[in-house]
Amino acid sequence: MDSFNFSIDLPVRSDWANVDLLRTSVQNCVTAVFSDIEGCRALAMVTGELIENAIKYGDWSRTEDHRFHLRVWGEGRSAHVSVENPVNGDAHAEEVLETLGWMRRYASPGDAYRAKLLEVAAAAREPGNSKLGLVRIAYEGNCTLTAEIARGMLRIQAELTV
Amino acid sequence: MQALVVGDLRIEALDDDASSAVRLLWKGKSNNRHPAEALAPYFREVLATAGRRQQPLELHFEDLEHFNSSTITSIIQLIQDARARGIKLVLVYDHALKWQKLSFDALRVFVKDDLLELRSA
Repeated sequence: MDSFNFSIDLPVRSDWANVDLLRTSVQNCVTAVFSDIEGCRALAMVTGELIENAIKYGDWSRTEDHRFHLRVWGEGRSAHVSVENPVNGDAHAEEVLETLGWMRRYASPGDAYRAKLLEVAAAAREPGNSKLGLVRIAYEGNCTLTAEIARGMLRIQAELTV
Repeated sequence: MQALVVGDLRIEALDDDASSAVRLLWKGKSNNRHPAEALAPYFREVLATAGRRQQPLELHFEDLEHFNSSTITSIIQLIQDARARGIKLVLVYDHALKWQKLSFDALRVFVKDDLLELRSA
């Protein structure tokens, strides 16, 4: 991608319909700015997967305002996607951190992704709890992922070097 | 066979007796929160048809705009079910689309023999 500074910063309602609305909106926005169509599509995929996780695993019981925070921004030759949502306890957040640590044990995101596909095939996990989305972000999105938990909020951030 | 329409996803079935395979054409976007709820029973029906006719099952993704990771899980389940039934499964994708190339190249991890083929359109 070319090098530009841009920012999208939204408090998003945790309705599933917003996943594709935002994925396509982000794709359309960055496509209007950058010439790298494949890079824009990857950024959109990363956004979609992170938003899906926020809605699926966020704790929406605590407040009436069921929103998570989405930021998508570019600085120089890096693009970032950050999603922050409330969580109930540390269980899901710890699973995210565990998955990120697991990925780092592999020589490449591709190796980790293929291992996760085999794990999905073999495991008896309930659908939707495989963490395949996070590993897909790292592989297909060519991203570095970080996560932090603070004051009942989980923030996952993906960085793409373009 | 009837088409499957789930939200933004439409899967058209081409299964006339003259064809050499049962073909499913994926169109739109597969972004459902629980895609297996609709895909799993549809895949069972399609596998039964392919089994009766002793034909391979081809899934065509070239015109698909996007699928989420939950859909990938459903495709993995189909790969396993087709293999368990001895039905050849062919996944056809557009290698010129980077996201499809990456996704389907990774699924080659399940290719053990002729029962699963990943084909670039």
